[in-house]
Amino acid sequence: MIPLGEQNYYDLLEASPEGTPQQIERAYRIARATYAPSSTATYSVFSSDECASILRRIEEAYAVLSDARLRREYDARLRRVEPGAGLSSGPPPVATAPRARPAPPPLAARAEPRAFDAELDTGLAPENGVFDGNVLRRIRLSLGIELEEISATTKINEHHLRAIEGNAYEHLPPPVYLRGFLKQIARCLSLDAGAVADSYTARMRESAAKRG
Amino acid sequence: MRRTGTPSWLSTRRGEPGLPGRGDETAATPPSVARVWAVGGGKGGIGKSFLVSNLATVAARSGKRVILIDADLGGANLHTCLGVRAGERISLSDYFEERVLDLEKVAVETPIPGLRLILGALGHTGKAETTQEQRTALAKAVRRLPADLVIFDLAAGTDRSTIDFFLEADDGFVVTTPEPTAIENAYAFLRAAYYRKLAGALSESNVREVVRVAMDQRNERGIRTPGDLLGEIDRLDHAEGDRFRRVLATFRPHLVVNQVRDTEEVKMGFSITSVCKKYFGIDIDYAGYICFDDNVWRSVKDRRPLVLAYPSSDGALYVRRIVKKLLGA
Repeated sequence: MIPLGEQNYYDLLEASPEGTPQQIERAYRIARATYAPSSTATYSVFSSDECASILRRIEEAYAVLSDARLRREYDARLRRVEPGAGLSSGPPPVATAPRARPAPPPLAARAEPRAFDAELDTGLAPENGVFDGNVLRRIRLSLGIELEEISATTKINEHHLRAIEGNAYEHLPPPVYLRGFLKQIARCLSLDAGAVADSYTARMRESAAKRG
Repeated sequence: MRRTGTPSWLSTRRGEPGLPGRGDETAATPPSVARVWAVGGGKGGIGKSFLVSNLATVAARSGKRVILIDADLGGANLHTCLGVRAGERISLSDYFEERVLDLEKVAVETPIPGLRLILGALGHTGKAETTQEQRTALAKAVRRLPADLVIFDLAAGTDRSTIDFFLEADDGFVVTTPEPTAIENAYAFLRAAYYRKLAGALSESNVREVVRVAMDQRNERGIRTPGDLLGEIDRLDHAEGDRFRRVLATFRPHLVVNQVRDTEEVKMGFSITSVCKKYFGIDIDYAGYICFDDNVWRSVKDRRPLVLAYPSSDGALYVRRIVKKLLGA
């Protein structure tokens, strides 16, 4: 158990040090919602002062990890500290660093499974390997990702996303765009982009053939 | 019913000096290594029995020998979820009151092949409490049941017996719904389990005393959080502090969020996981969630598990996903 004040930015966001920018973004959204003043998840465990303090540290972590250059610098510091660093050695990190500068390195970088990553690997891929709209929607929901988040990341219009998830083939974008859209969605859900695009379009053609 | 051991009337009574305790009477049977699950969560009415009956049905249909134990002695109703009438049938009380000495003999068949149930009806004395000795004997006997999977359906609340069954299991499930009341009770349940696990694992009596003090949230030593407690233990005895950390690393309950209606509520599971990490320093496994599904109450009314009554419903899909994740079945 690492005291909050000694957790590194990845610990704070509960994101993997290898996480993609999208995964960092997602971890941040969840962390922000979790420690928000009106949150149900913290009620009865953390006081509102404690939540505010955790939230400040989360914002600080996100300010660094969401900026490619600052994150590189921070990662480099983590790597320098990591070899042989014990939990009880080294100076305590400064709790409130200015947003624009990377914070002092934490005491130890750990490699242990994160809840989010574990969730990504387990039980979500469809049993028959078919990625239709329903499967994509379920996977998205299970990751706690809103349609608007996918829309914001991919710049795909929400009504197209809804049509794809609803298997509303007649309302889908033209085939030339569809494959690209499916691949972008798949990447947001950490799925194999090629497999999703192939499977979805094959399913769509089957359905068209059936209708004659 | 399969049974090859010594007849139960030959069994020794528990507690006789020098004799094996209850549960050893099946020594002639090759010991089975039943995996034990326990499903709790603090609040009542959040779907524990629903979840247990459906998890068990999925496991039984995949070829596992499953025995369910309704450990909610004061409010047993698991049998109804499975279409079994309680009536005057044999129950866990018969085992606790030593009218039946072989635990397996208390298990009754259910309409689902491969799935048996130990009812939790109150005994003649009407007592819902169990003694530590009874619980220890049950925990031992459970391991010898000829089953691949044993699942305890726990009572609401954080009674010592409930927490003990939870901690005794290989996998403990905490069920909640997205409502603040259910979440509050889930944390209370986790807190009780957490402190009890620690108190049981630490060996120095002065350190155990600190844990006992810490369980009272308004204690005078100013120990408010598990982090404070760890600091206090480290000050007293560094070796015990290390033991504390090792015990925490092995405490990994599974979380199931039931009656989820939207993405926000799916995320509740991630949030609870995060709070547990930051507050207790434990890694909870978010085993899954079950979406709100009208078919659930229909199946309860039909007294049939959802996964049989409405196998293609969303709810059934999510139950199967949880079993698949845990058993690979």
